[in-house]
Amino acid sequence: MKKVINKLASILDDKRWDSVSIPILSILLSFICISIILLVMGKDPLLAFKSFLQGSGFWPKEKYGGGNGMLTDLFSFLNILAPMILAALGFVVGFKAGFFNIGISGQMLSAGFLAAVIVGYSDLNAVIAKPLVIIIGALAGGLLGAFVGFLKHKFNIHEVVSTIMINYIISYLTGFFINGYYSDAITRSMKISGANARLTWTNVQIAGVKCNIPLGIVLAIAAAFVVKFIFDKTVFGFELKAVGSNMRCARYTGINVGRHIVISLTISGALAGLAGVTYYCGYLNTIVPRTLSSLGYDAIAVALLGNSSPIGAIFASFLITIFQTGSNYMSSTVGVAKEIASLITGILLLFSACGGYFRYLAHRRMQRIQDEWDIKDNPLRKIIADNSDERKEEHIHG
Amino acid sequence: MDKVFIDGLSFAAPLYVMAMGCIFSQKSGVDNLAIEGFQGFGAFIGALVAFILMPIMGNGSQAVIYIAMLSAFIGGSIYACIHGVLCVKFRANQVISGVVVNILAVALTTFFTSAVNKAMLGQSSNKFILGIFERFDVPGLSQIPIIGAFFRSMYPFEWIIFVIAIVAWYVMYKTRFGMHLRACGENPQAVDAAGGNVTRTRFLSVMISGGLSGVGGICYAYSISANFSPSIYMGFGYLAIAAMIFGNWNILPTAAVCLFFGLAKSGGYQLCLNMGLPSNYSDLFMMIPYILTLLLLAFFSKKNHPPAAIGEPFDQSKR
Repeated sequence: MKKVINKLASILDDKRWDSVSIPILSILLSFICISIILLVMGKDPLLAFKSFLQGSGFWPKEKYGGGNGMLTDLFSFLNILAPMILAALGFVVGFKAGFFNIGISGQMLSAGFLAAVIVGYSDLNAVIAKPLVIIIGALAGGLLGAFVGFLKHKFNIHEVVSTIMINYIISYLTGFFINGYYSDAITRSMKISGANARLTWTNVQIAGVKCNIPLGIVLAIAAAFVVKFIFDKTVFGFELKAVGSNMRCARYTGINVGRHIVISLTISGALAGLAGVTYYCGYLNTIVPRTLSSLGYDAIAVALLGNSSPIGAIFASFLITIFQTGSNYMSSTVGVAKEIASLITGILLLFSACGGYFRYLAHRRMQRIQDEWDIKDNPLRKIIADNSDERKEEHIHG
Repeated sequence: MDKVFIDGLSFAAPLYVMAMGCIFSQKSGVDNLAIEGFQGFGAFIGALVAFILMPIMGNGSQAVIYIAMLSAFIGGSIYACIHGVLCVKFRANQVISGVVVNILAVALTTFFTSAVNKAMLGQSSNKFILGIFERFDVPGLSQIPIIGAFFRSMYPFEWIIFVIAIVAWYVMYKTRFGMHLRACGENPQAVDAAGGNVTRTRFLSVMISGGLSGVGGICYAYSISANFSPSIYMGFGYLAIAAMIFGNWNILPTAAVCLFFGLAKSGGYQLCLNMGLPSNYSDLFMMIPYILTLLLLAFFSKKNHPPAAIGEPFDQSKR
């Protein structure tokens, strides 16, 4: 047992691999925790995990409805994955520069609304309309982000407060316009926009099954690599990280902090805007008035689970989205309420938040082993160690 | 006009108690975005207790409500231990921990509300139906013109929160514990050197924070919605954080901010009704408090100063 723990500690303490090994440990621990919960409820955890995979199209189901297949599920999984990755990237960019952008939902909503209003009801050619939707999304989100950055820089308004206020304002403002001018008489939500503007090709036949193919997923993966490139390879990205880790120090080295605040929040907002158009004009095709999507908050969780790195965000989105999309099917096969998906997300996050503590424990253990080795190998050190023990005792008695 | 004061106060009071919870945690140096989760979980425990007690003690019984409030306090403070352990003991990033606690609260409460409903009533529903507080007029004071409206058809919890506020102010500024608490937020090493226990102080203040937020949550559940459902997570916790930052991390100015918020909210709504506009225009008036807050913040934020040690895990070996 002790050997196993020591081995584990040595793996976790390895500097080259700890950005991978610690998340994996957290994920394993949370899977164990979830399995225990399911066992307590009298359900089969293995069946549940299999159903999650089946529901999101990674494992064939027993039977499919007419015209559907595994690819249908897989593509609908990708459809929701795209906005998740983009929103998480938006959060990552802000977070690396030291800002906590919880206005992602609001930025998404404004981008989706503007794109739907300007392009969605026009009869533009799809070749023009689709890029236009993307551009409008990025612009709308970016402008909102820039506004938050401006408030932060010019008036010292904490971004958490201003983004919350802006979230409410946007939700009411778009609600007003949707209810007043664009409301569908039956569903009470926004009228659906035309297929020319939608970022998802619906009902495409692939290998004999109907699929909804998302364009956003290409955009999302590309965006992740662009963000990674900016942070790893450019001076600008380095400066952003400098502002994020110590603003005062960055100012003394001659970085224009104000400009960087505004730019980083603009990029963050633009990515959130892209998430908004892929969500509202791709995955969905409508907007429910006065509702902010919970995806904007889930994205924060995803970004943090992915260790706030762009590539980590892709993997984390994968994991969380599997549980969220698979929960419906899992609920039908295993019979557990589908709310357990968010419980799983919560437990995953809880353990990944403990990651730093695991690292600390592993490091301490390794150091202790190191000390024991040193004393065993070196007779001189042993004498010193004994002496220091004696001295300690003297100190206590004296 | 009366309606503006009555509704404004009944919205402001729970917001204020949550903001006070947030102040306790932040003043001790633990960043707290978890208010939203605390209030929801506290309200869940309170509602659960009320849900169990109601058949025993009779549906109309007001005593149930007070027991529910107490259990919301206890439930909130126990739930806050997660945030406390993560931030104080495990030295996790406090912002991350806050988000985790929020998401976990939403998940746990929705899951268990459905589970309890299924087990006890045999039907799948995601809410606990609660009663509503009985309103009352304060004799004498309610006869004063204009301001008297503040004392007309009040919820009893407004008085409870008033008492809590006085106690909280006393604890924060006049006791040894409060002194340590504030010092932990400014310079924890100094507290350590003076023989105080930083870890314990911070942990306690996070628990107090959870308890107070729980009280805020159950008050909303008992006044605005008259039930407990996931719709309790409407973002009032974040609003409380905003109020606290606007109030510059102090208990008295925050009260004014919350009152301003409540009045602006109910005022906007009544204005819309009085002008006889179609109902969808109410959305535009609902924006008023948020726009006003942004504008006012632009003028007052310059001299804000948060506690110096906020967001930093306590490290004994640092100076």
